[in-house]
Amino acid sequence: MLKTTLNKQITLISLCLAMLFASINAQAKLNIVTTTGMIADLTQNIGGDEVEVTALMNTGVDPHLYKATQGDLRKLMKADIIFYNGLHLEGKMQDIFEKMARKKPVYAISEKLPKNRILHHGQYPDPHIWFDVLLWKQAGERVLELLNKHEPDKSVLFTANANLYFDKLEALNLWAAQQVASIPEAQRILITAHDAFGYFGQAYQIKVMGLQGISTASEFGLQDIKQLKEVIVANQVKAVFVESSVSPRFINSLVEGVEAEGHQLKIGGELFSDAMGLPDTEEGTYLGMVKHNVNTIVSALKGQSKPTP
Amino acid sequence: MINDVWILATASLVAISCALVGVFLILRRQALMGDAISHSVLLGIVLAFLISESRSLPVMLAGAVIIGLITAWLSDTLHKVGKLQSDASIGIVFTLFFAIGVILISLYAGQVDLDQECVLYGEIAFVPFDTIIWGSSEQGLDIGPRAFWMISVVFVIVLASILVAFNRLQTVAFHPSLALSLGINVVFWHYFLMTLVSLTTVASFDAVGAILVVALLVIPASSAYLLASTLKNMLWLAVIYAQSAVLIGYALAYALDSAISASIAVTSGVLLGLTILGLQVHKIRLRRQGKATLLEKA
Repeated sequence: MLKTTLNKQITLISLCLAMLFASINAQAKLNIVTTTGMIADLTQNIGGDEVEVTALMNTGVDPHLYKATQGDLRKLMKADIIFYNGLHLEGKMQDIFEKMARKKPVYAISEKLPKNRILHHGQYPDPHIWFDVLLWKQAGERVLELLNKHEPDKSVLFTANANLYFDKLEALNLWAAQQVASIPEAQRILITAHDAFGYFGQAYQIKVMGLQGISTASEFGLQDIKQLKEVIVANQVKAVFVESSVSPRFINSLVEGVEAEGHQLKIGGELFSDAMGLPDTEEGTYLGMVKHNVNTIVSALKGQSKPTP
Repeated sequence: MINDVWILATASLVAISCALVGVFLILRRQALMGDAISHSVLLGIVLAFLISESRSLPVMLAGAVIIGLITAWLSDTLHKVGKLQSDASIGIVFTLFFAIGVILISLYAGQVDLDQECVLYGEIAFVPFDTIIWGSSEQGLDIGPRAFWMISVVFVIVLASILVAFNRLQTVAFHPSLALSLGINVVFWHYFLMTLVSLTTVASFDAVGAILVVALLVIPASSAYLLASTLKNMLWLAVIYAQSAVLIGYALAYALDSAISASIAVTSGVLLGLTILGLQVHKIRLRRQGKATLLEKA
């Protein structure tokens, strides 16, 4: 009687041990936590099946307005590596990440980008680097370097994944440049709710104007609206754009104001700015998001009724 | 695990400090002072930035505390000198300050990410990561989160002030005219209290964010107000309500994977609701008993 219970206990214990080892093996995947979905997408493409990537900021979340949950805290604690954008995109969280970096591998993927490629508003950097596809590729090179540093034995795999993805990025960059170049030069003006598209404008030769300043929380003055109206009427701009993570009502009021002056102005569609689309849709990936933005901008500014898919 | 302890410790100190200060605000009918300060600090931040050209935390905190003080003082003055209701004078001052802040941002700092949300308000979930390391950053001694130590200092100041000056604060709060005739400097104690309010709110904003602070200033003290008969009781009850809200709220945040500060704020609201419900049930029972005894007598 005693012996059988003892036997049972031994089997139970060895079963537990086996499960423990199994779970340790399963955790051999590098657990990476990122702030934005864009960084998660980039990291997943480079890390492939060898990494488990989680983004803190969900779809449609404005990074300026992100609120951490109790679960986010646990995710950060369990992460092997944390990647964030930097350049003050994450606001006050950036200070936290800088502090965390003393104890944990925490990196700003923008930190090694060439200084002369970073746009500035006054003395502060513009964080929306993902809209210049080549710049984003450079951020990807930094991610690759860091992954290789942490898992040197998997570096061949990471590098192969990365090269495959970098080729896609370069193709996307060329395509985007060609598409934007097909808009008549005078009408190459991109007007959106806030100044997120500075890098896009610089990379693809399109003039960018925003209604709000760099922070989505600041408000705009009457002067800004008046200037925008003048530009729109003078250049016969056909469309302005709303953004997925910024309220469309500012842009709506601009459209009404311009139409009151007898100029036809359309809302060209929704652009993804600070966050990507829903997961498992095409816009839920970085490549799809950029394609969507370029298609929306190009077809609306050319005056075509529907964006080409 | 240790992180949960740091978060709970910081939240508890914030909750108790806010509850203690909140009791006096409720009694003075200035319950929304915390909300007012949460808006008017924008002006403090902008001015501090324009003067110092820096967004570092000490500068922002200094600007915020000073503007918080001015908000509290000015609304008190408007109330007394201008003969306006205290709620109206609070409303006038903080909206004015917030609006001036907005104008200054669009005039001088439009291209800088400068708002209280991003430079001052903290996130309680990240408290454990922002630790102070004593000595060199490589081998220094980690003495725990910065927010914890900062709110500890404020907590000690608040507690010591209330312990030392309890009688005076009580007299000023309930019998200002008696206080005057006793030769207590009523004006000084008003301003002293407002200084505590500004210090507590700004330090708490930095630790846990605005919404939780506003909630903790008003709700536990209000729950306590419903039950307490003396100032001492009210202070104790407010502390108990605040502490319970922190513990239950954190468990809720864990279970629902939700924002910690919002969960604590909601919990303190639910506790207030339960208190009101309990009091009503008690009242109805008393009435029935009263009727029953009347019938018996008849």
